[in-house]
Amino acid sequence: MPGETPAEVDFLALEDETAEGLFRLFEQRGWGDGLPLVAPTEDRVTAMLAGRDPDGEVAVLPPRFGTATNHAIAVNAVLAGCPPEVFPVVTTALRALAEPDVNLQGVQATTHPVAPLVIVHGDVVSRSGFNPGLGTFGPGNRANATVGRAVRLALLHVGGAYPGRGDQSTQGQPAKYSYCIAENAQESPWEVYPRSRGIDAPSAVTVHCGAGPHNFHDMESKSAAPILDKGASAFTSLGSNNACISEGECFVILCPEHAATIAAEGWTRRDVQSFLFERARLPARVFREAFEIRRWRPWMEAVSADDALLPMTDHPDNFRVLVAGGAGKHSCIVPSWGVTRSRTLPLDD
Amino acid sequence: MPIRIHSPEGPLGVAPLRLAPVPGVLAGRRIGLLDNRKPNAGALLAHVAERLAARTGARVSLAVSKSNAAVRCDAELLDKLRAEADVVITGSGD
Repeated sequence: MPGETPAEVDFLALEDETAEGLFRLFEQRGWGDGLPLVAPTEDRVTAMLAGRDPDGEVAVLPPRFGTATNHAIAVNAVLAGCPPEVFPVVTTALRALAEPDVNLQGVQATTHPVAPLVIVHGDVVSRSGFNPGLGTFGPGNRANATVGRAVRLALLHVGGAYPGRGDQSTQGQPAKYSYCIAENAQESPWEVYPRSRGIDAPSAVTVHCGAGPHNFHDMESKSAAPILDKGASAFTSLGSNNACISEGECFVILCPEHAATIAAEGWTRRDVQSFLFERARLPARVFREAFEIRRWRPWMEAVSADDALLPMTDHPDNFRVLVAGGAGKHSCIVPSWGVTRSRTLPLDD
Repeated sequence: MPIRIHSPEGPLGVAPLRLAPVPGVLAGRRIGLLDNRKPNAGALLAHVAERLAARTGARVSLAVSKSNAAVRCDAELLDKLRAEADVVITGSGD
């Protein structure tokens, strides 16, 4: 509240521990995400911390520049309904979001509907009950749903990204409520995603600040190219920030059946990246007519021929490929906000 | 009986910034323009600055641009604005 020091609002008096009572208190303060909350009582916050130093600093979150201490994160994890065993996933995600290359201030404040996608990898997936399979984007699984929500609540409360105040997103998006999936390593034909990024840890967390997932389906193809052509087609859109910001990544979340078909032809993850880089293209003239303001690598600007096909992103490695989901033939792409890089970190203790 | 619950905000990690004091008189002052690279921001700022200068007797001393709307202004650019302008006009939405 304006005029109060942090110490004055460390604790609040909740007159009525019903959903309505908590709603009222949070509404008065301009807090919350609009959904029911779990009251962050002493016992619940202590259980969430599980002996960790409450003052331990994990991140400073703009635009409010609040400090996400273990305590502050634990309060938001309780509010979100997290079970204590997922707490390290929340702290790791927030630690990753505070890395400079993520450009969290821009992510939080932009008019674009960007939201951080949290991807959970490794042993913690089964140990803490995440759903890497059917319906991984939700709904229906407590770990996925509450981790994504806890990250959002911390971005609201600690980071100050309230719509119209810290967050100027023109339309917002549903992923701003919760956006967390798990990698389906059991059904992936390739090494786990963190290892492909040079991180050899039993468990890890990736954050990617992007748009909502865009489905692409292929029920018929028995080979890699036609499946990935549909992914490239879904990505090749002038409406995406990737079209005018060439450094942006694109996460390609393949379902197990698509991944199996692709790998059966001997394709590696690198092959998938190279193919998408080659196929997700538009004529240079189309890009130039659409955008006077571009943030492109110099080599792209130097291509003068109008009919030359330029890629939607400036390097094959910007396609980040992993497997998630269950039975069926639906995959998705998650385009980037643009001026941001994904981060993968080993899981906190 | 009220229940004591914890605040979700956490302590402030960085002291809040405050706006610089506004000069009482603009006559003779130098106006700097910082284009945030939103579409047409440069044209809008230039027009506002020209009118402001004409009305007050200030002058436009420099116009610079951020590299991109989505990133912070480079420190060198801020130093240049501090050195060569008394007031800076910036900011434009989409």
